[in-house]
Amino acid sequence: MAVHKRSYHAYAGRLTPPWSRFLIVSRYAFQKALSSKLLIVVFALSFFYPLGCALALYMNHNERLLAMFNTSSFFAVDARFFFHFQSVQGLMAFILTALVGPSLVSPDLANHALPLYFCRPFSRAEYVLGKLFVLISLLSLVTWIPGELLFVIQSSLAGASWMWTNLWMAGSIVLGSAIEILVFSLLAVALSAWIKRKLAAGAALLGVFFFGAGFGQAINAVLRTRNGSLIDLANLIAGVESQLFRQYTLRPIGIPTDWAWLVLLAISAFCLLLLEKKVRAYEVVRG
Amino acid sequence: MSGQQADQRIVFEDVSKFYGEVLGVNRVSISIPAGITSLVGPNGSGKTTLMNLMTGLVRPTRGRISVLGIPPDDPERLFHTVGYCTQFDSFPKGLTGYQFVYSYLRLFGHPHLVADRLATQAIERVNLAEAAHRQIAGYSKGMRQRIKLAQAMSHQPSALVLDEPLNGLDPLIRAETIALFRSLAQEGRHVVISSHVLHEVDAISDQVVLLSNGYVVAEGQIHGVREEIREHPMQILVRCNKPGDFASRVFQQDYLVEARILPDGQGVLVKTRDADSFYLLLNRIAQSGINIESVAPADDDVLSVYEYLIGTEESTK
Repeated sequence: MAVHKRSYHAYAGRLTPPWSRFLIVSRYAFQKALSSKLLIVVFALSFFYPLGCALALYMNHNERLLAMFNTSSFFAVDARFFFHFQSVQGLMAFILTALVGPSLVSPDLANHALPLYFCRPFSRAEYVLGKLFVLISLLSLVTWIPGELLFVIQSSLAGASWMWTNLWMAGSIVLGSAIEILVFSLLAVALSAWIKRKLAAGAALLGVFFFGAGFGQAINAVLRTRNGSLIDLANLIAGVESQLFRQYTLRPIGIPTDWAWLVLLAISAFCLLLLEKKVRAYEVVRG
Repeated sequence: MSGQQADQRIVFEDVSKFYGEVLGVNRVSISIPAGITSLVGPNGSGKTTLMNLMTGLVRPTRGRISVLGIPPDDPERLFHTVGYCTQFDSFPKGLTGYQFVYSYLRLFGHPHLVADRLATQAIERVNLAEAAHRQIAGYSKGMRQRIKLAQAMSHQPSALVLDEPLNGLDPLIRAETIALFRSLAQEGRHVVISSHVLHEVDAISDQVVLLSNGYVVAEGQIHGVREEIREHPMQILVRCNKPGDFASRVFQQDYLVEARILPDGQGVLVKTRDADSFYLLLNRIAQSGINIESVAPADDDVLSVYEYLIGTEESTK
């Protein structure tokens, strides 16, 4: 019989706080995402519209320019301005999601890497949070952060009275962006977890939006109903945002806004359920 | 088993795991001491499920598990105590060997400097220091196996659970890796290995756990397991100068089942139901003028035990 005398020493030093460990996953996911030149180009393009808006705000308050054109302002900076900003940046956010999202979980599943994560003091929720954090931070940089900066610029140019009158719009920018970020991110990560091939996951994400919109319209036309819009995600988000920015005349056709909120909530919950089913340390293959 | 003993062992008490209707393992009761323990069984026998249970990746449907006294309900302590090397090549794209080991150490909560030191130590221990900063994508199969081993042992766990760790290794690296397992075991760690290569299991294991269809069919030191298989008489190979005389002497014993003279005429293959009595008889035969050169069990190995308990058909899968 072999005799094994314990002669090793286990690590007994300081550890980082558990709450911060999800950032390790995010950091490597970021590193990988930013190695794509296409992503860098699209990310840079995402700032063109906010920069243009900032320039437009400046010109809108430039006394000399206004005097040259003999006008008090070139355009009104109101909820409609920020609603359009939100729509344009929402599209950019979606394109960024389509580029980054599919490669977040699918390679780990394809490589059977999840057991390696979960045999460490690292939970499934932390793993999902780490992956979501990549999209949340990236999309924040192109949605609510430039939106709030524009709001601050306009406030500083137009004065405190404009700011206090329109302060509710600052909240709408954050809330509208949060909805976009949440829905896009959850959908992208859930699809990435269910479809092991990165390209297929990307195609599925595009399909959810574009086929959903087309199919919804087809249902509306054939069945002479408006309920087809329930599967048109872009329409649902636009509906919710039009309410947040009080742009009722710009509201897309379709269903009541309350329904749009409910459906978006249901979609988010469904994505979390998909993640709960799929992000596991093991996979049971039946048959 | 006393509490102190349980604190030094990996203990399964009546553990079952079902994945819905799919059986993982059923009614497993084993106690694994320090040293090298091999899990042996055909595909689908429950080896990986047993390893997943040990490492806290899955919870048992029934029963109780304790790894060196730590229950799976205490994941923070359990995961620091256990190191796991899966059978799959699980490498995030674009990482170097060092980054792979380092990043998983950070998930344990090791600060940067500690993770750097531990990663370097583990990589050196598997002899990959020169390739540490090369991308894993450019590694050979053997190097990938070794970097996986490095990540499993980098946080200095007390128990190492290694799923098919010898797969894809060339003979030289295989010998180095086995030596590494031995040194880890000699430090008092629990090294649990699953393997299909039975002669290697035989050579390196302090004890084996044989599995079939989710059940443990045998557990313990291979010699002890072999002795328990009474329906198959022990085969003993005796090299001697007068095999005919030797055969006639042993045939007088009622516990002897068969004595066959070897084709080269230099010995006898004996099948006996009572090995201890046979060995005592050998002393008397040796004193009677027959020159016995060597005596060796012919089926006291994992392969034979595996075939007797699980079957030849399964062993070829």
